[in-house]
Amino acid sequence: MTAQSLSPARPAPAGPAGGARPAGPSRRNRAGSRAERLAPLVLLAPALLIIVGLRLWPLVLGVNFSFTGDGDRNGMMVGFENYATLFGDPLFRTALRNVGLLVLLLPVAVAIPGLLATFIYLRVPGHRLYRGVYFFPAVLSPVIVGAIFNLLLAFDGPLNKLLGGLGIGPVDWLGDPSVAIFAVVGVHVWATFGMALVVFLAGFATLDSSLLDAAEVDGASLPQTIRHVIVPSLTRTIQFVFVTTMIGMLTSMFGLLYVMTTGGPAGSTYLPEYYIWIQQGQLNQPALASAASTALFLIMLVVGLAQIGILRRSAGKED
Amino acid sequence: MSGIRLTRWVVAVPMAALALATVYPLVFTTNVAMKTRREYVLDRFSLADSLNWDNIVKAWTSVGMSRYFLNSVIVVAISVALLLLFGSMAGFALARLRFRGSSALFLGILAALFVPFQVIMVPLARIMADTGLMDTYPGLVLAYVAQFLPFTIFLLTSYYATVPPEIVDAARIDGNTVYGVYWRIMLPIGAPALLSVGVLNALFCWNDVLISLLMMPSAEHRTLMVGVTSLRGQYSDDIPTFASGVLIAAVPVLVVYLFLQRQIADGVTAGSTKG
Repeated sequence: MTAQSLSPARPAPAGPAGGARPAGPSRRNRAGSRAERLAPLVLLAPALLIIVGLRLWPLVLGVNFSFTGDGDRNGMMVGFENYATLFGDPLFRTALRNVGLLVLLLPVAVAIPGLLATFIYLRVPGHRLYRGVYFFPAVLSPVIVGAIFNLLLAFDGPLNKLLGGLGIGPVDWLGDPSVAIFAVVGVHVWATFGMALVVFLAGFATLDSSLLDAAEVDGASLPQTIRHVIVPSLTRTIQFVFVTTMIGMLTSMFGLLYVMTTGGPAGSTYLPEYYIWIQQGQLNQPALASAASTALFLIMLVVGLAQIGILRRSAGKED
Repeated sequence: MSGIRLTRWVVAVPMAALALATVYPLVFTTNVAMKTRREYVLDRFSLADSLNWDNIVKAWTSVGMSRYFLNSVIVVAISVALLLLFGSMAGFALARLRFRGSSALFLGILAALFVPFQVIMVPLARIMADTGLMDTYPGLVLAYVAQFLPFTIFLLTSYYATVPPEIVDAARIDGNTVYGVYWRIMLPIGAPALLSVGVLNALFCWNDVLISLLMMPSAEHRTLMVGVTSLRGQYSDDIPTFASGVLIAAVPVLVVYLFLQRQIADGVTAGSTKG
Protein backbone atom coordinates (compact mmCIF):
# COMPACT_ATOMS: atom_id res chain seq x y z
CA MET A 1 0.00 0.00 0.00
CA THR A 2 3.00 2.31 -0.02
CA ALA A 3 3.19 3.01 -3.75
CA GLN A 4 -0.49 3.66 -4.20
CA SER A 5 -0.86 5.81 -1.18
CA LEU A 6 1.19 8.53 -2.85
CA SER A 7 -1.43 9.15 -5.50
CA PRO A 8 -5.20 9.05 -5.43
CA ALA A 9 -6.31 5.51 -6.09
CA ARG A 10 -8.57 5.08 -9.03
CA PRO A 11 -10.59 1.93 -9.22
CA ALA A 12 -10.84 0.23 -12.58
CA PRO A 13 -14.16 0.94 -14.31
CA ALA A 14 -15.53 -2.49 -13.52
CA GLY A 15 -13.60 -2.53 -10.30
CA PRO A 16 -14.86 -3.82 -7.04
CA ALA A 17 -14.06 -0.85 -4.86
CA GLY A 18 -17.58 -0.20 -3.74
CA GLY A 19 -18.70 3.34 -3.22
CA ALA A 20 -15.41 4.86 -4.30
CA ARG A 21 -15.77 7.38 -7.05
CA PRO A 22 -13.03 7.92 -9.61
CA ALA A 23 -10.78 10.63 -8.29
CA GLY A 24 -9.38 11.86 -11.55
CA PRO A 25 -7.21 9.94 -13.98
CA SER A 26 -4.02 8.39 -12.84
CA ARG A 27 -1.55 6.39 -14.87
CA ARG A 28 0.33 4.90 -12.02
CA ASN A 29 -2.35 2.63 -10.75
CA ARG A 30 -2.61 -0.07 -13.32
CA ALA A 31 -0.84 -2.62 -11.14
CA GLY A 32 -2.60 -1.34 -8.04
CA SER A 33 -6.01 -1.62 -9.61
CA ARG A 34 -5.52 -5.27 -10.40
CA ALA A 35 -4.59 -5.96 -6.80
CA GLU A 36 -7.63 -3.94 -5.87
CA ARG A 37 -9.93 -5.83 -8.18
CA LEU A 38 -8.91 -8.97 -6.38
CA ALA A 39 -9.44 -7.33 -3.00
CA PRO A 40 -12.90 -8.80 -2.29
CA LEU A 41 -11.55 -12.24 -3.07
CA VAL A 42 -8.50 -11.74 -0.89
CA LEU A 43 -10.57 -10.41 2.00
CA LEU A 44 -13.10 -13.21 1.74
CA ALA A 45 -10.67 -16.05 1.06
CA PRO A 46 -9.95 -17.20 4.63
CA ALA A 47 -13.62 -17.11 5.60
CA LEU A 48 -14.72 -18.93 2.48
CA LEU A 49 -12.04 -21.60 2.74
CA ILE A 50 -12.98 -22.33 6.35
CA ILE A 51 -16.74 -22.23 5.87
CA VAL A 52 -16.73 -24.31 2.71
CA GLY A 53 -14.05 -26.73 3.89
CA LEU A 54 -15.20 -27.26 7.45
CA ARG A 55 -18.94 -26.58 7.37
CA LEU A 56 -20.43 -27.16 3.94
CA TRP A 57 -18.15 -29.91 2.64
CA PRO A 58 -18.60 -32.00 5.82
CA LEU A 59 -22.34 -31.67 5.34
CA VAL A 60 -22.03 -33.30 1.92
CA LEU A 61 -19.63 -35.92 3.25
CA GLY A 62 -21.98 -36.68 6.12
CA VAL A 63 -25.00 -37.27 3.92
CA ASN A 64 -22.79 -39.55 1.84
CA PHE A 65 -21.54 -41.42 4.94
CA SER A 66 -25.07 -42.06 6.01
CA PHE A 67 -25.53 -44.36 3.02
CA THR A 68 -22.40 -46.40 3.76
CA GLY A 69 -21.83 -49.18 6.28
CA ASP A 70 -20.14 -49.33 9.67
CA GLY A 71 -17.46 -51.68 10.92
CA ASP A 72 -16.58 -54.39 8.41
CA ARG A 73 -18.64 -52.72 5.75
CA ASN A 74 -16.86 -49.40 6.12
CA GLY A 75 -17.16 -47.45 2.86
CA MET A 76 -19.60 -49.86 1.20
CA MET A 77 -22.84 -48.39 -0.04
CA VAL A 78 -25.75 -49.85 1.89
CA GLY A 79 -28.62 -47.69 0.67
CA PHE A 80 -31.13 -46.74 3.32
CA GLU A 81 -30.08 -49.45 5.74
CA ASN A 82 -28.78 -47.00 8.35
CA TYR A 83 -32.03 -45.12 8.24
CA ALA A 84 -33.95 -48.34 8.77
CA THR A 85 -31.72 -49.17 11.76
CA LEU A 86 -32.14 -45.62 13.02
CA PHE A 87 -35.91 -45.56 12.98
CA GLY A 88 -36.02 -49.06 14.40
CA ASP A 89 -33.84 -48.03 17.35
CA PRO A 90 -36.00 -47.32 20.41
CA LEU A 91 -33.43 -44.79 21.65
CA PHE A 92 -33.68 -42.74 18.47
CA ARG A 93 -37.45 -43.01 18.56
CA THR A 94 -37.36 -41.66 22.11
CA ALA A 95 -35.11 -38.85 20.87
CA LEU A 96 -37.67 -37.96 18.20
CA ARG A 97 -40.51 -38.15 20.68
CA ASN A 98 -38.60 -35.78 22.93
CA VAL A 99 -38.19 -33.38 19.99
CA GLY A 100 -41.96 -33.47 19.65
CA LEU A 101 -42.24 -32.68 23.34
CA LEU A 102 -39.90 -29.71 22.89
CA VAL A 103 -42.07 -28.40 20.07
CA LEU A 104 -45.12 -28.67 22.34
CA LEU A 105 -43.30 -26.84 25.13
CA LEU A 106 -42.01 -24.15 22.77
CA PRO A 107 -44.95 -21.75 23.27
CA VAL A 108 -44.38 -21.88 27.03
CA ALA A 109 -40.65 -21.23 26.62
CA VAL A 110 -41.50 -18.19 24.48
CA ALA A 111 -44.40 -16.91 26.57
CA ILE A 112 -42.49 -16.83 29.87
CA PRO A 113 -39.78 -14.38 28.74
CA GLY A 114 -42.37 -12.49 26.70
CA LEU A 115 -44.55 -11.88 29.74
CA LEU A 116 -41.59 -11.03 31.95
CA ALA A 117 -40.32 -8.54 29.37
CA THR A 118 -43.78 -6.99 29.23
CA PHE A 119 -43.78 -6.49 32.98
CA ILE A 120 -40.28 -5.07 32.96
CA TYR A 121 -41.32 -2.72 30.18
CA LEU A 122 -44.33 -1.66 32.22
CA ARG A 123 -41.96 -0.77 35.06
CA VAL A 124 -42.84 -3.34 37.65
CA PRO A 125 -41.25 -2.29 40.94
CA GLY A 126 -37.63 -3.37 40.69
CA HIS A 127 -37.63 -3.50 36.90
CA ARG A 128 -34.19 -1.95 36.67
CA LEU A 129 -32.70 -4.92 38.46
CA TYR A 130 -34.49 -7.76 36.73
CA ARG A 131 -33.01 -7.53 33.27
CA GLY A 132 -29.48 -7.98 34.56
CA VAL A 133 -30.43 -10.75 36.98
CA TYR A 134 -32.59 -12.77 34.59
CA PHE A 135 -30.10 -12.57 31.75
CA PHE A 136 -27.18 -13.81 33.77
CA PRO A 137 -27.71 -17.63 33.66
CA ALA A 138 -27.80 -17.35 29.87
CA VAL A 139 -24.06 -16.70 29.76
CA LEU A 140 -23.20 -19.77 31.84
CA SER A 141 -22.11 -22.96 30.12
CA PRO A 142 -24.66 -25.79 30.08
CA VAL A 143 -21.95 -27.77 31.84
CA ILE A 144 -21.88 -25.34 34.75
CA VAL A 145 -25.66 -25.13 34.85
CA GLY A 146 -26.00 -28.90 34.67
CA ALA A 147 -23.40 -29.46 37.37
CA ILE A 148 -25.13 -26.98 39.69
CA PHE A 149 -28.54 -28.51 39.10
CA ASN A 150 -27.16 -31.96 39.75
CA LEU A 151 -26.71 -30.72 43.30
CA LEU A 152 -29.99 -28.82 43.47
CA LEU A 153 -32.12 -31.63 42.06
CA ALA A 154 -30.53 -34.39 44.12
CA PHE A 155 -33.09 -36.54 45.92
CA ASP A 156 -32.01 -35.01 49.22
CA GLY A 157 -31.24 -31.64 47.63
CA PRO A 158 -32.55 -28.11 48.14
CA LEU A 159 -35.52 -28.31 45.76
CA ASN A 160 -37.00 -31.37 47.43
CA LYS A 161 -36.35 -29.77 50.78
CA LEU A 162 -38.26 -26.67 49.71
CA LEU A 163 -41.13 -28.75 48.34
CA GLY A 164 -41.11 -30.85 51.50
CA GLY A 165 -41.65 -27.67 53.48
CA LEU A 166 -44.78 -27.10 51.38
CA GLY A 167 -45.91 -30.65 51.99
CA ILE A 168 -45.09 -31.92 48.50
CA GLY A 169 -43.20 -34.92 48.33
CA PRO A 170 -39.82 -35.73 47.36
CA VAL A 171 -39.58 -36.14 43.59
CA ASP A 172 -36.79 -38.14 42.01
CA TRP A 173 -36.13 -35.42 39.44
CA LEU A 174 -33.35 -37.08 37.48
CA GLY A 175 -34.03 -40.70 38.37
CA ASP A 176 -37.65 -41.10 37.31
CA PRO A 177 -37.95 -41.77 33.56
CA SER A 178 -41.25 -39.93 33.29
CA VAL A 179 -39.94 -36.86 35.11
CA ALA A 180 -36.31 -36.53 34.02
CA ILE A 181 -36.90 -35.04 30.55
CA PHE A 182 -39.12 -32.36 32.05
CA ALA A 183 -36.49 -31.62 34.68
CA VAL A 184 -33.81 -31.22 31.99
CA VAL A 185 -36.01 -29.05 29.78
CA GLY A 186 -36.97 -27.01 32.83
CA VAL A 187 -33.32 -26.39 33.61
CA HIS A 188 -32.71 -25.46 29.98
CA VAL A 189 -35.53 -22.93 30.14
CA TRP A 190 -34.19 -21.59 33.45
CA ALA A 191 -30.79 -21.14 31.84
CA THR A 192 -31.93 -19.52 28.61
CA PHE A 193 -35.10 -17.52 29.23
CA GLY A 194 -32.93 -14.45 29.86
CA MET A 195 -31.67 -14.64 26.29
CA ALA A 196 -35.20 -14.40 24.89
CA LEU A 197 -36.07 -11.77 27.49
CA VAL A 198 -33.30 -9.48 26.26
CA VAL A 199 -34.47 -9.95 22.68
CA PHE A 200 -38.03 -9.06 23.71
CA LEU A 201 -36.80 -5.96 25.54
CA ALA A 202 -34.94 -4.86 22.41
CA GLY A 203 -38.25 -5.26 20.58
CA PHE A 204 -40.06 -3.20 23.19
CA ALA A 205 -37.50 -0.44 22.73
CA THR A 206 -38.84 0.00 19.19
CA LEU A 207 -42.45 0.07 20.37
CA ASP A 208 -44.41 3.30 20.08
CA SER A 209 -45.03 4.12 23.73
CA SER A 210 -47.93 6.47 22.95
CA LEU A 211 -49.96 3.40 21.97
CA LEU A 212 -49.47 1.99 25.45
CA ASP A 213 -50.26 5.32 27.08
CA ALA A 214 -53.46 5.47 25.09
CA ALA A 215 -54.39 1.95 26.18
CA GLU A 216 -53.71 2.86 29.77
CA VAL A 217 -55.80 6.04 29.56
CA ASP A 218 -58.64 4.03 28.03
CA GLY A 219 -58.48 1.75 31.06
CA ALA A 220 -57.54 -1.35 29.04
CA SER A 221 -56.78 -4.42 31.12
CA LEU A 222 -53.38 -6.03 30.86
CA PRO A 223 -54.55 -9.03 28.76
CA GLN A 224 -56.33 -6.59 26.41
CA THR A 225 -53.21 -4.45 26.11
CA ILE A 226 -51.03 -7.47 25.38
CA ARG A 227 -53.44 -8.83 22.81
CA HIS A 228 -54.29 -5.64 20.94
CA VAL A 229 -51.21 -3.47 21.33
CA ILE A 230 -48.11 -5.44 22.20
CA VAL A 231 -48.43 -8.66 20.20
CA PRO A 232 -49.32 -6.95 16.89
CA SER A 233 -46.39 -4.50 17.27
CA LEU A 234 -43.86 -7.19 18.08
CA THR A 235 -44.68 -9.86 15.48
CA ARG A 236 -41.14 -9.85 14.13
CA THR A 237 -39.52 -10.16 17.53
CA ILE A 238 -41.89 -12.96 18.49
CA GLN A 239 -41.05 -14.88 15.29
CA PHE A 240 -37.36 -14.41 15.95
CA VAL A 241 -37.65 -15.70 19.51
CA PHE A 242 -39.69 -18.72 18.39
CA VAL A 243 -37.05 -19.75 15.86
CA THR A 244 -33.99 -19.10 18.03
CA THR A 245 -35.56 -20.84 21.02
CA MET A 246 -36.34 -23.89 18.90
CA ILE A 247 -32.82 -24.00 17.50
CA GLY A 248 -31.45 -23.65 21.03
CA MET A 249 -33.55 -26.58 22.22
CA LEU A 250 -32.38 -28.76 19.34
CA THR A 251 -28.69 -27.92 19.43
CA SER A 252 -27.58 -26.65 22.80
CA MET A 253 -28.85 -29.15 25.32
CA PHE A 254 -25.99 -31.59 24.87
CA GLY A 255 -24.03 -30.17 27.81
CA LEU A 256 -27.02 -30.55 30.13
CA LEU A 257 -27.74 -34.11 29.02
CA TYR A 258 -24.09 -35.08 29.24
CA VAL A 259 -23.74 -33.76 32.79
CA MET A 260 -27.21 -34.34 34.24
CA THR A 261 -28.59 -37.61 32.88
CA THR A 262 -26.25 -39.08 30.21
CA GLY A 263 -29.43 -39.84 28.30
CA GLY A 264 -30.98 -41.83 31.14
CA PRO A 265 -32.79 -43.00 33.15
CA ALA A 266 -33.67 -45.84 30.77
CA GLY A 267 -32.80 -43.68 27.76
CA SER A 268 -35.72 -41.37 28.49
CA THR A 269 -33.82 -38.10 28.02
CA TYR A 270 -32.24 -38.83 24.63
CA LEU A 271 -32.26 -36.05 22.07
CA PRO A 272 -30.95 -36.41 18.50
CA GLU A 273 -27.72 -34.57 19.33
CA TYR A 274 -27.01 -36.91 22.22
CA TYR A 275 -27.76 -39.94 20.08
CA ILE A 276 -25.30 -38.71 17.44
CA TRP A 277 -22.61 -38.23 20.07
CA ILE A 278 -23.10 -41.69 21.54
CA GLN A 279 -23.02 -43.42 18.16
CA GLN A 280 -19.94 -41.50 17.02
CA GLY A 281 -17.97 -40.93 20.20
CA GLN A 282 -18.79 -44.03 22.25
CA LEU A 283 -20.03 -46.77 19.96
CA ASN A 284 -17.88 -45.94 16.94
CA GLN A 285 -20.70 -46.19 14.43
CA PRO A 286 -20.04 -43.11 12.29
CA ALA A 287 -22.33 -44.14 9.45
CA LEU A 288 -25.30 -44.61 11.74
CA ALA A 289 -24.41 -41.35 13.50
CA SER A 290 -24.36 -39.65 10.10
CA ALA A 291 -27.84 -40.90 9.35
CA ALA A 292 -29.00 -39.41 12.65
CA SER A 293 -27.17 -36.17 11.75
CA THR A 294 -28.95 -36.03 8.43
CA ALA A 295 -32.30 -36.54 10.16
CA LEU A 296 -31.47 -33.72 12.60
CA PHE A 297 -30.43 -31.54 9.70
CA LEU A 298 -33.79 -32.03 8.00
CA ILE A 299 -35.52 -30.97 11.21
CA MET A 300 -33.24 -27.93 11.44
CA LEU A 301 -33.77 -27.05 7.78
CA VAL A 302 -37.44 -26.42 8.34
CA VAL A 303 -36.64 -24.18 11.30
CA GLY A 304 -33.70 -22.54 9.54
CA LEU A 305 -35.52 -21.63 6.34
CA ALA A 306 -37.99 -19.72 8.43
CA GLN A 307 -35.19 -17.81 10.09
CA ILE A 308 -33.22 -16.94 6.96
CA GLY A 309 -36.20 -14.93 5.84
CA ILE A 310 -36.18 -13.00 9.09
CA LEU A 311 -32.43 -12.40 9.27
CA ARG A 312 -32.17 -11.36 5.65
CA ARG A 313 -34.57 -8.51 6.16
CA SER A 314 -32.50 -7.21 9.05
CA ALA A 315 -29.01 -7.39 7.58
CA GLY A 316 -29.40 -4.32 5.41
CA LYS A 317 -28.55 -6.34 2.31
CA GLU A 318 -31.89 -5.88 0.61
CA ASP A 319 -31.11 -2.48 -0.81
CA MET B 1 -56.15 2.78 39.61
CA SER B 2 -56.13 1.29 36.15
CA GLY B 3 -55.78 -2.41 35.48
CA ILE B 4 -52.22 -2.17 34.30
CA ARG B 5 -51.06 -0.27 37.35
CA LEU B 6 -52.61 -2.74 39.75
CA THR B 7 -51.10 -5.66 37.86
CA ARG B 8 -47.67 -4.12 38.23
CA TRP B 9 -47.80 -4.60 41.96
CA VAL B 10 -49.38 -8.05 41.79
CA VAL B 11 -46.64 -9.46 39.55
CA ALA B 12 -43.85 -7.80 41.51
CA VAL B 13 -43.88 -10.64 44.02
CA PRO B 14 -43.46 -13.61 41.66
CA MET B 15 -40.89 -11.66 39.68
CA ALA B 16 -38.82 -11.05 42.76
CA ALA B 17 -39.14 -14.75 43.62
CA LEU B 18 -37.92 -15.64 40.13
CA ALA B 19 -34.97 -13.30 40.52
CA LEU B 20 -34.08 -15.17 43.70
CA ALA B 21 -34.44 -18.49 41.89
CA THR B 22 -32.06 -17.18 39.23
CA VAL B 23 -29.36 -16.23 41.69
CA TYR B 24 -29.80 -18.94 44.31
CA PRO B 25 -28.18 -21.86 42.44
CA LEU B 26 -24.87 -20.05 42.20
CA VAL B 27 -25.09 -18.81 45.78
CA PHE B 28 -25.75 -22.37 46.92
CA THR B 29 -22.78 -23.65 44.92
CA THR B 30 -20.49 -20.95 46.31
CA ASN B 31 -21.61 -21.78 49.82
CA VAL B 32 -20.98 -25.49 49.29
CA ALA B 33 -17.53 -24.74 47.90
CA MET B 34 -16.70 -22.93 51.12
CA LYS B 35 -17.70 -25.85 53.35
CA THR B 36 -15.47 -28.61 54.58
CA ARG B 37 -16.52 -32.11 53.61
CA ARG B 38 -17.69 -32.75 57.13
CA GLU B 39 -19.75 -29.57 57.24
CA TYR B 40 -21.37 -30.54 53.96
CA VAL B 41 -22.32 -34.01 55.10
CA LEU B 42 -23.79 -32.68 58.35
CA ASP B 43 -25.77 -29.84 56.82
CA ARG B 44 -25.48 -28.75 53.21
CA PHE B 45 -27.86 -25.81 53.52
CA SER B 46 -26.52 -23.81 56.42
CA LEU B 47 -24.14 -20.97 55.77
CA ALA B 48 -20.52 -22.08 55.70
CA ASP B 49 -18.80 -21.55 59.06
CA SER B 50 -16.06 -19.49 57.52
CA LEU B 51 -14.66 -18.55 54.13
CA ASN B 52 -12.65 -21.68 53.61
CA TRP B 53 -10.57 -21.58 50.41
CA ASP B 54 -9.03 -25.03 50.81
CA ASN B 55 -11.38 -26.68 48.31
CA ILE B 56 -10.73 -23.99 45.72
CA VAL B 57 -6.99 -24.41 46.16
CA LYS B 58 -7.35 -28.19 45.97
CA ALA B 59 -9.45 -28.00 42.79
CA TRP B 60 -6.99 -25.54 41.24
CA THR B 61 -3.83 -27.45 42.05
CA SER B 62 -4.22 -31.16 42.69
CA VAL B 63 -7.32 -31.79 40.59
CA GLY B 64 -5.78 -30.20 37.51
CA MET B 65 -8.20 -27.35 36.96
CA SER B 66 -5.27 -24.96 36.45
CA ARG B 67 -4.09 -26.96 33.45
CA TYR B 68 -7.60 -27.10 31.95
CA PHE B 69 -8.01 -23.39 32.65
CA LEU B 70 -4.83 -22.55 30.77
CA ASN B 71 -5.84 -24.79 27.86
CA SER B 72 -9.15 -22.95 27.61
CA VAL B 73 -7.59 -19.50 27.82
CA ILE B 74 -5.14 -20.27 25.01
CA VAL B 75 -7.69 -21.85 22.71
CA VAL B 76 -10.33 -19.17 23.31
CA ALA B 77 -7.89 -16.27 22.82
CA ILE B 78 -6.56 -17.55 19.52
CA SER B 79 -10.00 -18.56 18.25
CA VAL B 80 -11.52 -15.17 19.03
CA ALA B 81 -8.61 -13.28 17.44
CA LEU B 82 -8.96 -15.30 14.23
CA LEU B 83 -12.74 -14.97 14.23
CA LEU B 84 -12.52 -11.19 14.51
CA LEU B 85 -9.83 -10.92 11.82
CA PHE B 86 -11.50 -13.18 9.23
CA GLY B 87 -14.97 -11.97 10.18
CA SER B 88 -14.18 -8.27 9.80
CA MET B 89 -12.36 -8.83 6.50
CA ALA B 90 -15.33 -10.71 5.10
CA GLY B 91 -17.87 -8.35 6.66
CA PHE B 92 -16.19 -5.30 5.16
CA ALA B 93 -15.97 -6.92 1.73
CA LEU B 94 -19.60 -8.03 1.78
CA ALA B 95 -21.01 -4.77 3.09
CA ARG B 96 -18.88 -2.14 1.39
CA LEU B 97 -17.26 -3.59 -1.75
CA ARG B 98 -19.25 -4.12 -4.87
CA PHE B 99 -18.49 -7.28 -6.77
CA ARG B 100 -20.41 -9.87 -8.67
CA GLY B 101 -22.03 -12.54 -6.54
CA SER B 102 -21.78 -10.69 -3.24
CA SER B 103 -25.40 -11.25 -2.29
CA ALA B 104 -25.18 -14.90 -3.24
CA LEU B 105 -22.10 -15.27 -1.05
CA PHE B 106 -23.83 -13.56 1.84
CA LEU B 107 -26.74 -15.95 1.49
CA GLY B 108 -24.38 -18.91 1.37
CA ILE B 109 -22.77 -17.79 4.61
CA LEU B 110 -26.19 -17.31 6.19
CA ALA B 111 -27.05 -20.85 5.13
CA ALA B 112 -23.95 -22.12 6.93
CA LEU B 113 -25.42 -20.58 10.10
CA PHE B 114 -28.03 -23.30 10.02
CA VAL B 115 -25.64 -26.21 9.81
CA PRO B 116 -25.33 -27.07 13.48
CA PHE B 117 -22.20 -28.75 14.73
CA GLN B 118 -24.11 -31.92 15.58
CA VAL B 119 -24.92 -32.37 11.91
CA ILE B 120 -21.32 -32.19 10.69
CA MET B 121 -19.42 -33.60 13.65
CA VAL B 122 -18.89 -37.08 12.27
CA PRO B 123 -17.35 -36.06 8.94
CA LEU B 124 -15.49 -33.18 10.64
CA ALA B 125 -13.88 -35.64 13.04
CA ARG B 126 -12.78 -37.72 10.06
CA ILE B 127 -11.37 -34.69 8.23
CA MET B 128 -9.46 -33.67 11.35
CA ALA B 129 -8.12 -37.18 11.82
CA ASP B 130 -7.08 -37.44 8.15
CA THR B 131 -5.21 -34.13 8.33
CA GLY B 132 -3.50 -34.94 11.62
CA LEU B 133 -5.34 -32.14 13.41
CA MET B 134 -7.29 -34.38 15.76
CA ASP B 135 -6.35 -33.85 19.41
CA THR B 136 -4.27 -30.74 18.64
CA TYR B 137 -4.81 -27.13 19.61
CA PRO B 138 -4.81 -25.88 16.01
CA GLY B 139 -7.50 -28.46 15.24
CA LEU B 140 -9.74 -27.28 18.06
CA VAL B 141 -9.16 -23.63 17.14
CA LEU B 142 -10.08 -24.37 13.53
CA ALA B 143 -13.21 -26.18 14.65
CA TYR B 144 -14.26 -23.19 16.76
CA VAL B 145 -13.51 -20.70 14.00
CA ALA B 146 -15.50 -22.77 11.52
CA GLN B 147 -18.36 -23.06 13.98
CA PHE B 148 -18.74 -19.39 14.88
CA LEU B 149 -17.51 -17.62 11.73
CA PRO B 150 -20.86 -17.47 9.89
CA PHE B 151 -22.48 -15.76 12.88
CA THR B 152 -19.51 -13.38 13.21
CA ILE B 153 -19.64 -12.46 9.53
CA PHE B 154 -23.38 -11.93 9.68
CA LEU B 155 -23.08 -9.55 12.60
CA LEU B 156 -20.11 -7.61 11.24
CA THR B 157 -21.64 -7.33 7.77
CA SER B 158 -24.77 -5.86 9.31
CA TYR B 159 -22.64 -3.43 11.28
CA TYR B 160 -20.48 -2.35 8.34
CA ALA B 161 -23.60 -1.85 6.24
CA THR B 162 -24.49 1.00 8.60
CA VAL B 163 -21.17 2.79 8.03
CA PRO B 164 -21.84 5.68 5.61
CA PRO B 165 -20.25 4.96 2.20
CA GLU B 166 -18.95 8.55 2.16
CA ILE B 167 -16.38 7.59 4.78
CA VAL B 168 -15.01 4.90 2.50
CA ASP B 169 -15.08 7.29 -0.48
CA ALA B 170 -13.20 9.96 1.41
CA ALA B 171 -10.54 7.50 2.50
CA ARG B 172 -10.16 6.29 -1.08
CA ILE B 173 -9.78 9.85 -2.37
CA ASP B 174 -7.12 10.38 0.26
CA GLY B 175 -5.17 7.66 -1.48
CA ASN B 176 -5.89 4.56 0.56
CA THR B 177 -6.01 1.17 -1.12
CA VAL B 178 -8.90 -1.13 -0.32
CA TYR B 179 -6.66 -2.83 2.22
CA GLY B 180 -5.73 0.53 3.70
CA VAL B 181 -9.40 1.38 4.07
CA TYR B 182 -9.96 -1.91 5.83
CA TRP B 183 -7.00 -1.58 8.16
CA ARG B 184 -7.04 2.15 8.93
CA ILE B 185 -10.76 2.96 8.72
CA MET B 186 -12.97 -0.10 9.01
CA LEU B 187 -11.19 -1.88 11.85
CA PRO B 188 -11.22 1.17 14.18
CA ILE B 189 -14.77 2.13 13.19
CA GLY B 190 -15.89 -1.41 13.83
CA ALA B 191 -14.53 -1.46 17.38
CA PRO B 192 -17.93 -1.51 19.16
CA ALA B 193 -19.18 -4.37 16.99
CA LEU B 194 -15.87 -6.21 17.27
CA LEU B 195 -16.03 -5.94 21.06
CA SER B 196 -19.59 -7.20 21.14
CA VAL B 197 -19.07 -10.12 18.79
CA GLY B 198 -15.69 -10.85 20.35
CA VAL B 199 -17.13 -11.18 23.84
CA LEU B 200 -19.94 -13.34 22.56
CA ASN B 201 -17.55 -15.62 20.69
CA ALA B 202 -15.32 -15.85 23.74
CA LEU B 203 -18.34 -17.01 25.76
CA PHE B 204 -19.37 -19.53 23.09
CA CYS B 205 -15.87 -21.03 22.93
CA TRP B 206 -15.31 -20.94 26.69
CA ASN B 207 -18.68 -22.58 27.38
CA ASP B 208 -18.49 -25.22 24.67
CA VAL B 209 -18.30 -28.84 25.66
CA LEU B 210 -19.38 -30.90 22.65
CA ILE B 211 -16.76 -29.63 20.18
CA SER B 212 -13.87 -29.94 22.58
CA LEU B 213 -15.07 -33.34 23.78
CA LEU B 214 -14.98 -34.54 20.20
CA MET B 215 -11.76 -32.82 19.13
CA MET B 216 -9.61 -33.31 22.25
CA PRO B 217 -9.85 -36.91 23.46
CA SER B 218 -6.67 -36.96 25.54
CA ALA B 219 -6.83 -35.88 29.17
CA GLU B 220 -3.98 -33.36 29.15
CA HIS B 221 -5.64 -31.44 26.30
CA ARG B 222 -8.97 -31.07 28.09
CA THR B 223 -10.59 -27.66 28.09
CA LEU B 224 -12.09 -26.34 31.29
CA MET B 225 -15.68 -27.41 30.62
CA VAL B 226 -14.64 -30.97 29.77
CA GLY B 227 -12.55 -30.84 32.91
CA VAL B 228 -15.64 -29.98 34.93
CA THR B 229 -17.55 -32.93 33.50
CA SER B 230 -14.70 -35.24 34.43
CA LEU B 231 -14.74 -33.91 38.00
CA ARG B 232 -18.24 -35.21 38.47
CA GLY B 233 -17.27 -38.83 38.33
CA GLN B 234 -14.01 -38.39 40.24
CA TYR B 235 -15.35 -36.35 43.13
CA SER B 236 -18.87 -37.67 43.59
CA ASP B 237 -18.11 -38.20 47.28
CA ASP B 238 -16.37 -34.85 47.72
CA ILE B 239 -19.03 -32.36 46.67
CA PRO B 240 -17.28 -29.25 48.06
CA THR B 241 -14.29 -29.87 45.78
CA PHE B 242 -16.63 -30.53 42.88
CA ALA B 243 -18.48 -27.28 43.60
CA SER B 244 -15.14 -25.47 43.74
CA GLY B 245 -14.24 -26.73 40.28
CA VAL B 246 -17.60 -25.52 38.98
CA LEU B 247 -17.00 -22.15 40.58
CA ILE B 248 -13.54 -21.78 39.02
CA ALA B 249 -15.09 -22.38 35.61
CA ALA B 250 -17.94 -19.94 36.23
CA VAL B 251 -16.10 -16.99 37.76
CA PRO B 252 -14.40 -15.67 34.59
CA VAL B 253 -17.79 -15.66 32.89
CA LEU B 254 -19.35 -13.80 35.81
CA VAL B 255 -16.63 -11.15 35.69
CA VAL B 256 -17.07 -10.68 31.94
CA TYR B 257 -20.83 -10.47 32.46
CA LEU B 258 -20.54 -7.79 35.13
CA PHE B 259 -18.50 -5.53 32.88
CA LEU B 260 -19.78 -6.31 29.40
CA GLN B 261 -23.44 -7.17 29.88
CA ARG B 262 -24.60 -4.56 27.38
CA GLN B 263 -22.22 -5.76 24.67
CA ILE B 264 -23.36 -9.34 25.17
CA ALA B 265 -27.00 -8.29 24.94
CA ASP B 266 -26.27 -6.29 21.76
CA GLY B 267 -24.81 -9.37 20.12
CA VAL B 268 -27.68 -11.60 21.21
CA THR B 269 -30.34 -9.22 19.92
CA ALA B 270 -28.66 -8.47 16.58
CA GLY B 271 -31.02 -9.32 13.79
CA SER B 272 -34.09 -9.44 15.98
CA THR B 273 -35.66 -6.02 15.57
CA LYS B 274 -34.70 -3.99 12.54
CA GLY B 275 -36.74 -4.66 9.45
